[in-house]
Amino acid sequence: MALLLPWILSIPLFSIVILLLFRQLSRNQQTLIALLAPIAGLLLLAPMIPDLLQGAVFQQQWQWLPVLGLQWTFRLDALALLFSFLIFGIGLLVIFYARYYLSASDPMPRFYASLLLFMLAMLGIVLSGNVLQLWMFWELTSISSFLLISYWSHRSDARKGARLALTVTAAGGLALLVGLILLGQVAGSYQLDVILSKGPQIIADAQYPLILVLILLGAFTKSAQFPFHFWLPNAMAAPTPVSAYLHSATMVKAGIFLLIRLYPAIAGTDLWFSLVSLAGLLTLLTGAYFALFQHDIKGLLAYSTISHLGLITLLLGLDTDLATVAAIFHIINHAVFKASLFMAAGIIDHETGSRDMRKINGLWHFMPVTASLAMVAAASMAGVPLLNGFLSKEMFFSQTLHQSVLGALSWLLPLLATLAAVFSVAYSARFIHDVFFNGKPIGLDKIPHEPPRYMRVPMEVLVALCIGVGVFPQWLVGDILLAASTAALQQTPPAYSLALWHGLNLPLLMSVVAFVAGIVLYINRKELFLFQAGFQSTLAIHRFEGQVQRLVQRCRQFSQWAEPGRLQWYIAAMLWATVLLAGYPLLQLNSLQGERGLLPTDWFSAVLVVIMVLAAMATVIWQRQRLLALIMISVVGLMLSLLFIRFSAPDLALTQLAVEVATAVLLMLALYFLPHRSPKQSAHATLLRDLILAGSCAIVVGSLAYLMLTHQADSVSSYFLANAKSGGGGTNVVNVILVDFRGFDTFGEITVLGIAALGIYKLLTGIPRFKPSADADGRSWALDAHPLLLRVVSQGLLPLALLVSVYLFFRGHNLPGGGFVAGLVTAVALIMQYIAHGVDWVKPRLNLQFSALVASGILIAWLTGAFSWLFGKPFLTSWFDYFDIPLLGQIELASAIAFDLGVYLTVVGSTLLILANLGKLTTRHKPEHRGQI
Amino acid sequence: MTTLEWLISGLLCVGALFVLLGSVALLKLPDFYTRLHGPTKATTLGLGSLVLASMVFFNLQLETLSLQQLLIALFLFISAPVTAHMLIKVAMHHKLKHHHTTQGVDKLPAD
Repeated sequence: MALLLPWILSIPLFSIVILLLFRQLSRNQQTLIALLAPIAGLLLLAPMIPDLLQGAVFQQQWQWLPVLGLQWTFRLDALALLFSFLIFGIGLLVIFYARYYLSASDPMPRFYASLLLFMLAMLGIVLSGNVLQLWMFWELTSISSFLLISYWSHRSDARKGARLALTVTAAGGLALLVGLILLGQVAGSYQLDVILSKGPQIIADAQYPLILVLILLGAFTKSAQFPFHFWLPNAMAAPTPVSAYLHSATMVKAGIFLLIRLYPAIAGTDLWFSLVSLAGLLTLLTGAYFALFQHDIKGLLAYSTISHLGLITLLLGLDTDLATVAAIFHIINHAVFKASLFMAAGIIDHETGSRDMRKINGLWHFMPVTASLAMVAAASMAGVPLLNGFLSKEMFFSQTLHQSVLGALSWLLPLLATLAAVFSVAYSARFIHDVFFNGKPIGLDKIPHEPPRYMRVPMEVLVALCIGVGVFPQWLVGDILLAASTAALQQTPPAYSLALWHGLNLPLLMSVVAFVAGIVLYINRKELFLFQAGFQSTLAIHRFEGQVQRLVQRCRQFSQWAEPGRLQWYIAAMLWATVLLAGYPLLQLNSLQGERGLLPTDWFSAVLVVIMVLAAMATVIWQRQRLLALIMISVVGLMLSLLFIRFSAPDLALTQLAVEVATAVLLMLALYFLPHRSPKQSAHATLLRDLILAGSCAIVVGSLAYLMLTHQADSVSSYFLANAKSGGGGTNVVNVILVDFRGFDTFGEITVLGIAALGIYKLLTGIPRFKPSADADGRSWALDAHPLLLRVVSQGLLPLALLVSVYLFFRGHNLPGGGFVAGLVTAVALIMQYIAHGVDWVKPRLNLQFSALVASGILIAWLTGAFSWLFGKPFLTSWFDYFDIPLLGQIELASAIAFDLGVYLTVVGSTLLILANLGKLTTRHKPEHRGQI
Repeated sequence: MTTLEWLISGLLCVGALFVLLGSVALLKLPDFYTRLHGPTKATTLGLGSLVLASMVFFNLQLETLSLQQLLIALFLFISAPVTAHMLIKVAMHHKLKHHHTTQGVDKLPAD
């Protein structure tokens, strides 16, 4: 049955995909698809229940990154079962409820997809058997809750609230990650089973305090514990179904779940008791106190949630096992009554258009059924007998009585617990009285009425559970509570009884006191409100937003400093980095001269080098006459390719030549947009600076080259030379390296090339249309833009050039050539047509989508690589064989040629994408934004 | 020296001479219009002679089939006149200064 575990997780994923793919489905159909996930999940869980209640643990795992101790482990025990029930059950009701809550203008697929993603993340947390995996899902809940809270993204409060929630919970998540990694290192494994069994060892470790604090940071931020509670009220900007789900049953319970889950491993020390109980106590009191002063119903419920989370945390911080049982019991009860209260708030909001308790009064007359349901749920929140809230509150009271966690001050605990309960009764009373009684509604836009019949159904189910658990606790939740507590504690909890009546005892007295005092407090609330109004309140959200704005501004300043948008600056930074990084190691060496001697001086190469140096110097001297400079730099390129030939590198020479041509065209096009002559503008200081930079670069790079050339290092090249024919089936080692030995590099390179071309294309579309009508001297352009002779000749040359490129392509594997050069030759031949004929002529004749060409090239290369998977070989394993074909004789076929085809197409597409579109800028065929990329 | 070697040497010398003459013309002639004749005509002819020498050497002396030179000659004879044509068009458009003896100036487009 453990095999079913991954399915439980993947069903929500399945629903998400369907929802996002078929957006045109009706609202009811979308709701059905979304409902499918929790229903199927519950059905899958059902057969495992009997075993799990007996204490069985189902586990299923795969290796993921075993080196890091990371494996996919799904682990289902009774505690996870309990939480899965809450996640699926309340999720089911919330999805159903949201169908009626969302208005027609709200995009349903996005809502349900985010909600299901959140559901998946929560399940991931509770079903994880590996703490790193748990952390991953933990962060996924932060992200998906961000999406849900900011669902109404047009509202500023929703965006701010979502940002605040994400910042707090994700920051806590990072602390948690560190804590979990340390925990795993101490325990020797990231598997939950191992960690849980090594509790004493972890506690004894010197790092334990750090681990505990980090994990608690993660849990407290998630569960909105004081002092991190401020994000929760601001998250109320979310649609109410989201609040009902995230802030009653799931998101905020994740922190609590983590504490319970790791209880056997990290709890039980004085540090734990003092930290957890203090945080819980403070949260309990703060939440309860502030809940009373909220005018927004959801605000009241949010602070009440904080208070109840504090209660659960406090229970976990008390040093008896029974307190943990009470905590788990209260998790169930709180989820049930709080979800129904949020739904009530949503109905009220939906039907009245307001959530302000100063306006919505006397709703009893308008919606008696909803009012009754909400009142029962609120009574449960207050802890009225016969309802589930009463039972867990009584357990809580009795647990506070015999404590020693606060040392000699432990007698305060029952007192403060009763005080919190007083406020809890008071705010529950306010919720009931202010909303449903207390006169008539004030200034509402519409006349309230009962919601649609089915919108109430989820509430009815939950309220029925409140009463059911309240009256028959043992029968309804007794088994699972016991099993979950056993799983949480890793031992059988002490005996307890889930009865309604325990006789006249101190906890009951505390309840009675809380009730009477709570009602009295509510009646005299005016005094308290006046007292509270005396405080100057700054909202957390405003302070947070201020911080965010400051941070954004500082980042902007930094990026403006680091990226001033000046190419000179970037290049200078890059070159200085090169000089420093490459120059420093050179300082450590004694001598540049290696063991290899120098070659005898060869006059031919010497002449080439001298021309090259002169041309380079001429480029710098004539840099203001751009055309001349361009010619000079071409001379450098030509000399370089001659040198390549001289030193037996025909492949490089060919490529260099083709690149030279493409570069010349590119630069000519760029010159068109630049002034023909630029005024002398460099200050002498700038000149000196540039001279120093260029000189340093030359020294460092030149020395490096000398160093490399004179050292006889063992390099990989001898391996390539020896294996090119036998291993790659080609005699052109350069090509075999490109398409075979280091094919993966080439694959990455053509991908980068394609991305760069697309980026340039995108940039070009942003350039305003600009066409100077005359050159620098005021001469208008020639009338005969495309001379006949050039047109005829270039058209005639096209097939020849294409033939050459095909020839280069096919012989590439054995002789100089290959896809890259062939691609460049083709591209240059096609660019020639643009030059000779103009865009108007070429456009209808060359109907090619260059970007599609790039994409198909990369795809072909990838497919070639992936093809070897079919034979169980690693990516890009090459294959070749010889065939006898009539007339042609013996022919060698290698899979590398398909890969080379991909390279070819990518090169052609990229070059044309850049050059043709740059050229088109000067014409009416200027590239434009079409749709959104 | 065989006859073949005499032939190859002769072709090489003629080729070199014309290439040299083309370069001298580029240096010495008075204006752009006349200077253009050197590299486009004399040099092309010289290069053609060199290519021919190479063909004779590989095909007759070494007796291997070598036809790339034909392709080189073809490209050369196509590109040289087209380049010259384009350059002259630009020069005329730019109304470059001409020597008083240069012919055909009256055909320059008037403003």
